[in-house]
Order: sequence, then structure tokens, then C-alpha cells
Amino acid sequence: MQKETIIPESKDIAFRDLIIKTPGGKNIPTCMQCGVCAGSCPVSHEMDYTPRQIVRMIQLGLKKEVLNSNTIWICTTCFSCSVRCPRGIYPTELMETLKPIAMKEGIKNRNTKFDKIFADVVKKNGRASEFLLISKYSISEPGMIKQVPFGLELMSKGKLPLSIDKMDDLRELDSIFGLGEKTGIQEKTQSKEKPPEIKENDSDSQEAEK
Amino acid sequence: MKYSYYPGCAQHGTAIDQRISVEAVFKRLGIELEEIKNWNCCGALHVDDRTTRVGLSARTLAAAAKGLDIATPCNLCYSNLMRANTALEDSEIKIRINGALATKYDGNTKPKHLLEVIVKDLGLVKLAEQVKKPLKIKAVPYYGCLLTRPENKFDSPENPKSLDYLIAALGAEPVKYYYKTKCCGGPILITNEDLALELARDLLLMAKDSGADCMVVTCPMCHLQLDAKQKAVEAKYNIKIDMPIIYFTQLIGLAMGIAPKELGLDKHLVSTDIFIAKAGK
Repeated sequence: MQKETIIPESKDIAFRDLIIKTPGGKNIPTCMQCGVCAGSCPVSHEMDYTPRQIVRMIQLGLKKEVLNSNTIWICTTCFSCSVRCPRGIYPTELMETLKPIAMKEGIKNRNTKFDKIFADVVKKNGRASEFLLISKYSISEPGMIKQVPFGLELMSKGKLPLSIDKMDDLRELDSIFGLGEKTGIQEKTQSKEKPPEIKENDSDSQEAEK
Repeated sequence: MKYSYYPGCAQHGTAIDQRISVEAVFKRLGIELEEIKNWNCCGALHVDDRTTRVGLSARTLAAAAKGLDIATPCNLCYSNLMRANTALEDSEIKIRINGALATKYDGNTKPKHLLEVIVKDLGLVKLAEQVKKPLKIKAVPYYGCLLTRPENKFDSPENPKSLDYLIAALGAEPVKYYYKTKCCGGPILITNEDLALELARDLLLMAKDSGADCMVVTCPMCHLQLDAKQKAVEAKYNIKIDMPIIYFTQLIGLAMGIAPKELGLDKHLVSTDIFIAKAGK
């Protein structure tokens, strides 16, 4: 993968300080680049920057590079890195911190799409019906059509009910979803500039995005 | 023994087999699971706003019956409840979140995975007393990620043993399995299927190599990934696996002599027939 040379001008100290203040971020300045996180990661081979590199890039304040990396979205949230880090850094928590920030900056990919749909379904119903999630997601992801036989197989076993699972009383959900920055639930955040595109290895998805 | 029960969304969908087995087994073990009324989704790994996600779990924790621990069958729900409790130790966050809740949360509800309920609270000695048909099989103990990470309160995040011991208590042999806590790829199944299937393939091939008759799981997401998607793994890599993926509650049920259908074993996508025949010998 071709990586651009990092130039000093891309340093954003405010970004670094913001991340250090978040959960799991306190110990970022103590990272000694041992690489236990990257070695523990089951999916680092698909990332354009490993968790170790991401931590270093945060130290350097490389906002643009960090937020445009596919690392944030490849992470499976397995926490292997986090329980092993000798400095008490939680790279998994960092990925979770970076997701809403990247979304706010206009990053769009399959994950941001799915996460928005998920949050929206939970906000409206209180529960996540798998059929509702998948059908909403499939509308904007034509590639999902090839999952239809799988869906039918699940249905034949009674595992994908068409009925929508809903709470009896939804009143608290609005205030709970109002707690945050609402990044997960805003349907359309249009930034004026063209959003930077996330690097994807999968050519299928790039076509789907277009 | 009584718990407030938080089933989680998957029990109403893809994990219907787990739901059936939990109902059958816990009643017979004399453990009462009182479902929380009007429970809500924990946000899984997809409600990206952290405060909102803690808020969702705080609402569930606040809804538990006074004095009871919350029990849940799902690794994701369990980890979100545990992480919410940790986040709520910060009094500022606690005040903010309680401001959004109708029932305020005091921070004192203890979440437990059903595996912990069986292994720690009931105890394996008592469980073994209920075994009518010791299972003469080899089983892979697969814990997944979120049962012991990041809040490793009830078993080791690197080399957990509770499921190994449970399998042994049922008369079966837990095989050595190097990947017992390696990620199955479930959380990225929808958005990055290629990579998710690669992770599942590694787990399944290692299980096959171990000579096990089944893989035992504790989480609906792992089950979906390893059972329901097993055929996709076989097709993608042109391999044959045929590895039955069994919820630990189903394994307990079989050893207690409960009929396979009463445990939802007919609802798997990978056939469990040969496994059941062998286990029942």
C-alpha cells in the first residue's frame, strides 16, 4: 500500500490533546512503540496503519491521516490489544473514540452507513431487529443481494423473524440518544468539502459507494 | 437462585436456539430468570456515541429488580453492561446519564453472563449432580472476545478455564485450543465479510484439527458467525468443515437428558445429527 510521506504541516496538536482526554487516551504519551497491540491484533494485516502506528500518529497530532485510515473501521473491538498493553493504553477505546470524530469530519463508508442505521433502528424501536437492520442496510448496498439465500436459510429455521421487535414504552430513548453528540444518529451530515474517501482494499465496496 | 434476566435482541432472532435451551435448562436447574420488563438494546458495537451507549446500558441496569444481579446470555450485552458500570464510576458521567433516565441508576447492579451464573453461582459440583448422560465427546471450549475482555472480572482474558471445566463436568473432554479467545469476526460480518470469513476459517480449521466433535460457544454473535456462516467459509475457501457449533446451554441440556429439539438443536444451519448421536451413546 502506497503511503504518503507525512509532512510536519499536518500536525494538529489540538487533535492530539482532545484524544488524550478521552477514555483510554490518558496514557497515550507514554507509548513506547513496543508493538504488542499490533502483534495481538487479529486483523492488523488488513489495516493501513497498525494500532501501534495509530497511537504514534496521535502523539504526533496527525489528525487527517488518523481519521482517514481504515484502521478505525477494520478493528473488530476484540480488546486483545487493550488487555495486553504494558502502558495501560486501550487502543480499542481509541478506535471507538475516533469513529464518531471521523463521522463528524464527513468520512463515509460501509461501517458509517451501517452504524447510522443501527443507531436509528435502536432509537426508534428500542431493540435491534436483525431483519430490519439488514433490509435497511441492503437498500443502499446493492452487493447485499447475494446474501438473500443466506437470509432465506435463516428464515427457514425461524431465525430471522419479519416482525419488528419493539419496546412497549419508548419514552426514555430520545433523552438517552440526546446524551451524546448525536453523531451516530444524524442521517445526513453534509460537509461542504468533498469528504475524504476511506482507503478500501475491497474493490467491490468502492463500486458500491459510487 | 433468582436473577433479573436481560436476554438481548439476538434471543428474539438469530439466537432462538439459545433462547430455547436457556428456558429448558435453567428451569430444570432451579434457577429463576425473571425477564426485565421493557428492556432495551445495549447498542452492541454499533451505537458509536459512547455516552449514548453507556446510557442504554445504564437504563437496563437501573431496570433490574432491587437486590438481584442481572444475568445475560450474550457476550456483547455482558461486556456493554460491565463497561457501563466502569464508565459510571465517574460521577460527572453518572449525573449526566441519570439526567436522561426515568429510573435513576445507583451503580450497584452486578451483571453476570449465564456462564458465570452456572460456573460460579450454581457451581460445577451441583451441575454435575444433574448430569444423567455423561457426554462421551471431545469439545472445543471457545470463549470469544467479550466474555473476558476488557473487564476480566470472572475469568482470565488470556487463558480462561471456566468453560473447559464446565465441559469436563458434563463428562466430555475439553480439547486444547489455542484460539479460545481469538476473535470470530462477528462484529465486521456485515461490513467486511471477506475478513470476517477469514477469521472464522482460522477458528474452524483449528477446531477441526483438534479432533473435536463440536465447538462450544457462549455468544449469539459467535454462533451466527461459526454456525450460520460456516457454509460460506467452506464455499469461499473450498474446504469441508462440518463442525457443529453448540451453545454451552445446549451442551448442559444434552447431559441432563433433555431432548435435542427442546434445546433448539434442530435450528442450527450445520447439522447436529451425528454429534447428537455420538453424544447420546
